[in-house]
Amino acid sequence: MSALSLKALAVAAGILGVPAAALPAVDPGVAVAPRIEFTPPRPGTYRLQKIQPATDATLLDPSGRPVRLSADTTGKITLLTFFYTYCADPIGCPLAYRTLLDVRAGVGRVAGLEQRVRFLSVSLDPTIDTPAAIGNYRDMVSEDSTLEWDVLTARSVRDLLPVLEDFGQDVSVEQAADGSARRTVHHMLKMFLIDHTGMVREIYTLAFLQPEVILNDIETLYLEEKPRASRSRRPDHLRSKIQAQID
Amino acid sequence: MYRSRISSRLSIGGLLVGLILAGSTVWSDETCNSPYMSGLIKGQEDFIHVWTLGEKGLGNGSDKLVTIDVNPSSTTYGKVIGSVSVGARGEAHHMGFTDDRKYLWAGGLDDSKIYVFDVGSNPGKPRVVRTITDLPTKSGFIGPHTFYALPGRVLIGNLSNNTDKGGVTGLAMYNNKGAFIAKYDIPTGTVGGVKGDGYGYDIAVNPAKNVMLTSSFTGWTNYMRSLNDVVKDPEAMKHFGSTVVVWDLKSMKPTQVLSVPGAPLEIRWALAPGQNWAVTAAALTSKIWLIKQNPAGTWAAKEVATIGEPSKIPLPVDISITADGKGLWVNTFMDGVTHYFDLSDPEHPQETYQKHTGRQVNMVSQSWDGKRVYITSSLLSKWDKSGADNEQVLRGYRWDGHALTNSFEVDFTKEQLGRPHHMKFTAKPAAQVAFVDHAK
Repeated sequence: MSALSLKALAVAAGILGVPAAALPAVDPGVAVAPRIEFTPPRPGTYRLQKIQPATDATLLDPSGRPVRLSADTTGKITLLTFFYTYCADPIGCPLAYRTLLDVRAGVGRVAGLEQRVRFLSVSLDPTIDTPAAIGNYRDMVSEDSTLEWDVLTARSVRDLLPVLEDFGQDVSVEQAADGSARRTVHHMLKMFLIDHTGMVREIYTLAFLQPEVILNDIETLYLEEKPRASRSRRPDHLRSKIQAQID
Repeated sequence: MYRSRISSRLSIGGLLVGLILAGSTVWSDETCNSPYMSGLIKGQEDFIHVWTLGEKGLGNGSDKLVTIDVNPSSTTYGKVIGSVSVGARGEAHHMGFTDDRKYLWAGGLDDSKIYVFDVGSNPGKPRVVRTITDLPTKSGFIGPHTFYALPGRVLIGNLSNNTDKGGVTGLAMYNNKGAFIAKYDIPTGTVGGVKGDGYGYDIAVNPAKNVMLTSSFTGWTNYMRSLNDVVKDPEAMKHFGSTVVVWDLKSMKPTQVLSVPGAPLEIRWALAPGQNWAVTAAALTSKIWLIKQNPAGTWAAKEVATIGEPSKIPLPVDISITADGKGLWVNTFMDGVTHYFDLSDPEHPQETYQKHTGRQVNMVSQSWDGKRVYITSSLLSKWDKSGADNEQVLRGYRWDGHALTNSFEVDFTKEQLGRPHHMKFTAKPAAQVAFVDHAK
């Protein structure tokens, strides 16, 4: 494992100074990491469904400026993950992070693909994950990589909840003594693959969190972008065959 | 292994000569939920929701979701604590949770409507938040049967089509918000050397294998007709499914058609990691079939056990596999018997226990720990027995590994509710945590 990965996992595992009281519950519905006992279908030999439009909202970037979520879910193929900077669930956020690193490495091996892909991490806990906190996280994840990896947070749980609701990101809300929303509790790990038009094309939960499959899905969306397909690493004759199948 | 579709149907017809009443099926319990669903209840369930067929002249006559308190520590244990009527009678049948377990989709086999119940906000008090009515127009399919959670989506296995209302049908995919996404035809052509029949019923996915299996029953023209009439009609008896289809889940393309004569119904994957097999029960031939991956990676179906005495037409309906994959409950509708098979060797299941649990029994559901088993009685409104044999109940049992002991019973006729069919469990949320109400 690289030094970067170790550092990332340390951050993700919450051992860099996050108060113990802030640690989230372990996902209750999962027991084991995903297995992959098959050869995934090749990119472009299948079509990803158009599941739903990605929602829009005003969130905060690491400098604390309001930004439109849609600016980060259109224009490129986006892999969106909701996360905590301090998540300790061994089959939750750190697993997602390792998956993202594997996918990023795969993207880097496909000529021209890196410029068409963006990772986006949105914090599930705006109370602890302040702009400064996500700024540190962004700096960490962006180190030694040219792939765009944006990180956003929200002003409040109240601002975040409509986003989670629209994506169908399963959380519950931990309430303070006065009944106000204190923080969210993550119940199901999900990643959202969004095409360049802002349409959600695949959703990965734990059983689907397979880097090879995710990479193939990204390449499949890349091949849909006809004008850009010529950048593919694939030989022309194969690319034409795949494109014909898509058409 | 493969037998021609025609010959198998003829033999099925022969077996059913003289049969007066019989039934269909379902899937239900905690061990058979989609692997994509969160929040499995591995402790004590608090509520059972029963999708109940309305019966004319009984109560309000409408289909309804009946909620029963099943926590033994509760003062209302074993009692009906709520009922949500949908205001119509559309042949309530099966249900399935969305991947977040907060919504329960419940279908009508006759009217093809799908009701979405919010069971996450307050599991003890479900409420209808959406009614989906566009399945026939969007997909061409009718008779929504199986509701299978995929991430952000629900995959619906249908029984029929809106052209001839026969058994050729397919799968329809909706997103969790209730918007239609895509349709997939069950194959009618030859795939992997076996001709498909196009029929549908259950769905079961093994994500580690990227494999989805679908089974096959019959169309609207049969399931909405008196069973007595169906079995006397040789032509009708030709129209039962005899296949299981293997799909590449990622591409949603069929890769094999397996010959499984006799209307294979519920499909259950072995849940333990590393297992590569599933089982199904063929209703009309009273057989358990094993569907297992070959060393070469392809799949094969093999008859591995007999349920009851096939010549007496016990009609196996619902099945429920234990969490460790080493046991299988099977209900046989006609004789009202609940069977337990030892599946330690899935190639050779052995029946080790049986109990008469009712005059007619259809669904069987078990808790994740296997200690509680629940059964309901109704199969289809036109296939249920009549007169005194038309017992409509939910019965709860404790299972100690050796015998079932009755713990409570709800008489759905006495309670003026209808015909109890599919069951699903919910549990109260943890203290200090309020679920986000997505419906508001």
